Amino acid sequence: MIVRAPGRFWLRTLGRHAARIFIVLMLGGFLGATLARLAPGFGQDEEELDSRLSRESVAALRQSHGEEERLPAFYAHYLGRLLRGDLGESQTLEEPVRQLLAERFPDTLASVGLGLALGWAAGLSLAVAAAMSRSGLADVAAGLAASILLCLPAGVLALLFVMVRAPGRLVIGLIVFPKIFQYARNLLRRSASLPHVLTARAKGLGAVRVLVWHILPVAGPQLLALAGVSVSLAFAAAIPVEVLSDLPGIGQLAWKAAMGRDLALLVNLTMIVTMITLVANTGAELLAQPAREGEA
Amino acid sequence: MKWAILSAGLLLSSCAIFGARQAVAQSGSQLRFCISAEPKTLNPLLVDDDSSDTIRYLTGGVLVRLNRITQQLQPELATAWKVSRGGDAISFTLRRNVRFSDGTPLSAADVAYTIQRLMDPALHSPTGDSFRSGKGEVETRVVGEDQVDIKFPAPIVGLDKLFDQVAILSAQSPNREIAALGPYYVAENKAGAYLLLKRNPNYWKHDAAGRQLPYIDSIRIEIEQNRDIEALRFERGEIDFIDSLSAEYYDRLATRAPAMAHDAGVSLDAEQMWFNEVPNAPLPAYKKAWFASARFRRAISESINRADLARVVFHGHAQPAVSWISPANRFWFDASLRPQPLDPKSALRLLTEDGFSLRNGALYDREEHAVEFSIITNAGNRYRESMAAMIQQDLAGIGIRLNIVTLDFPSLLERITRSHNYEACLLGLVNNDLDPDAQMNVWLSSGENHIWNPNQETPATAWEAEIDRLMRAQASTMDVKKRKQEVDEVQEIVWRQEPFIYLVNKDALVAVSTNLHNARPVALRPQVYWNIDQLWMGPARRRDR
Repeated sequence: MIVRAPGRFWLRTLGRHAARIFIVLMLGGFLGATLARLAPGFGQDEEELDSRLSRESVAALRQSHGEEERLPAFYAHYLGRLLRGDLGESQTLEEPVRQLLAERFPDTLASVGLGLALGWAAGLSLAVAAAMSRSGLADVAAGLAASILLCLPAGVLALLFVMVRAPGRLVIGLIVFPKIFQYARNLLRRSASLPHVLTARAKGLGAVRVLVWHILPVAGPQLLALAGVSVSLAFAAAIPVEVLSDLPGIGQLAWKAAMGRDLALLVNLTMIVTMITLVANTGAELLAQPAREGEA
Repeated sequence: MKWAILSAGLLLSSCAIFGARQAVAQSGSQLRFCISAEPKTLNPLLVDDDSSDTIRYLTGGVLVRLNRITQQLQPELATAWKVSRGGDAISFTLRRNVRFSDGTPLSAADVAYTIQRLMDPALHSPTGDSFRSGKGEVETRVVGEDQVDIKFPAPIVGLDKLFDQVAILSAQSPNREIAALGPYYVAENKAGAYLLLKRNPNYWKHDAAGRQLPYIDSIRIEIEQNRDIEALRFERGEIDFIDSLSAEYYDRLATRAPAMAHDAGVSLDAEQMWFNEVPNAPLPAYKKAWFASARFRRAISESINRADLARVVFHGHAQPAVSWISPANRFWFDASLRPQPLDPKSALRLLTEDGFSLRNGALYDREEHAVEFSIITNAGNRYRESMAAMIQQDLAGIGIRLNIVTLDFPSLLERITRSHNYEACLLGLVNNDLDPDAQMNVWLSSGENHIWNPNQETPATAWEAEIDRLMRAQASTMDVKKRKQEVDEVQEIVWRQEPFIYLVNKDALVAVSTNLHNARPVALRPQVYWNIDQLWMGPARRRDR
């Protein structure tokens, strides 16, 4: 049996994860910038077709993308500015990226937070009902709803919500729900069929006690891993939802940045979404670790 | 006499009732509409896109304004103006007691300051570029508090009309970026989401009853790219007008609520296609030879059923296009020209003269290459996608295979302006200026926007050389009659040579809520709010919702 000093162990684990996040973040940012730079039409302005513009003005317009044309130079300058807390300026919206993010992040956090809360509340409670109930009705009804929702893209759902004047934010919950439900139901069912759970039931333990004391501790670590995944899922769904429902969040901003080939904005958004995904996954992993060790 | 007094009394009381009704209606009133993209700038001197132009129109005070109905200039901040005989100078007499939205008074120094800023070569202002006709400095001279003279280094045709787009800035105001002379000022701007304009408390105009304009207190401009959602919001009463409707939606609305749907007639915009004639384009030599042939271009043009394009794609809300100047441009349009007739037999005759032959339903050139080319257009534009599909069918009738490629706009732009990696393009070029001189860069063979073969050192063809000569000639004379003759000649050459194959001129279709009063939609931009300071919100005009 190996005895570890808990403080040093956690420090090392956190350090390892932080280093991983940093490296992935840098690579993600550079990859995002490279893809945006190589996308056809990068650095093109519709204004070039303005017949009033003189040759000099057209040249000046083209030169305004000069730094962005040379990708390594752009990225080096970007990182330099990043160290000073400057995220650069959006080409399409002509505002500092930091200000744009500060204005829009709360909206997206509210949408994603609400979506996650709804998706998890509905998904987990129906999964528990489906796994624990002896009647198959709850399972069939929830399973059918989840299957239908899985078939519908976020964009279609968002459009339906716009048409019936329902709050667009709820769509994120409907996107998260089927994934949570299906995964959690299968997990709970598997845990419920373990020998020690069957023994506990045979000994006459109540359903709630079986769930709380014998099923959830086994399924917990994997549910936590699902929590990490659901965060990135919710952020991905926020893009079409915010665009179609006209919610001024970072999802809408990401869409505009992609349409306008706005390199500064795209790089920052790529890095933010990457960071959120990594932090959520790492958090879930770290939280699940003690439980896994306990099992072992 | 008694009757006259009685009539005057009745008139006055009805005015008072009308005024009171308006006062009730306008209290706290807000006009809401959508624009499809974020304004690229709020600096009126740098405006180069439709969204920024909207903000400039609503907030900018101009010396003279082009009346969108009469197409004539009318006084605004200038009570009088005079263009010199040589066309290189203009003097303005300013209206007195006018203040910016922040309270700073307007003076001739502000006009001089605006012109100097506008003409700063480092600014690269598109509006400023339209005043650049020769090398040298622009001189401004403040003659008095309300008198300013401006001298340009060379004559400029239609000089006074260009001032319709020059919003006067304050030289003194500490908030010169937001100090406005127009009916509104920008009170809030949430980038990418909405703009809120508020009524300029110092706006100089008053109505006949002495009430200060504008009637509407604020304007909320939402940024909405999706036209279907914009239509949905209009139906719900969340926005008050749409200034560019699709033909399908127009027809639906006209059936359901005729008082809201307006067809303001043919607009200035044209839909057109052209072939890539750039000599060093990455295309096979035989295709370059096809595209450079006037007979080939004309044959393509004669095979396209423009009437069907107007009827099917635009539901009849368009008309076959004739020229680079739309019939909406009453003065400059050459009314003697007729749309190219649909005549596939004549098209085949022209192609035969050029060495093409039709065998088993397919057309071959003299080197036995099957005639096939691709046309690019911007993805997501339903009109253009449908037009391309119909042209594809028309050309199949003379044995030509057309492949349709849709690209997102930046990619398309890259191909037509930089890589020149395309064969033909279908696009609509927006035209806001009535004066053909604004299109010099399109028609001069050395121009950047001479899009089928730009930046030529010497004209590639005799007819391009002739267009160069005529366009330069029309730009150097102040004799409007002579200019008109020269511009007509250019229109005729373009009609014969077809570097651009003009397809249709769309109608200006708009939707206006019945709660928006005094709206008189016109074909020229801005179609609905050109008389913004006269508009007011109130109870529905008719119960047709």
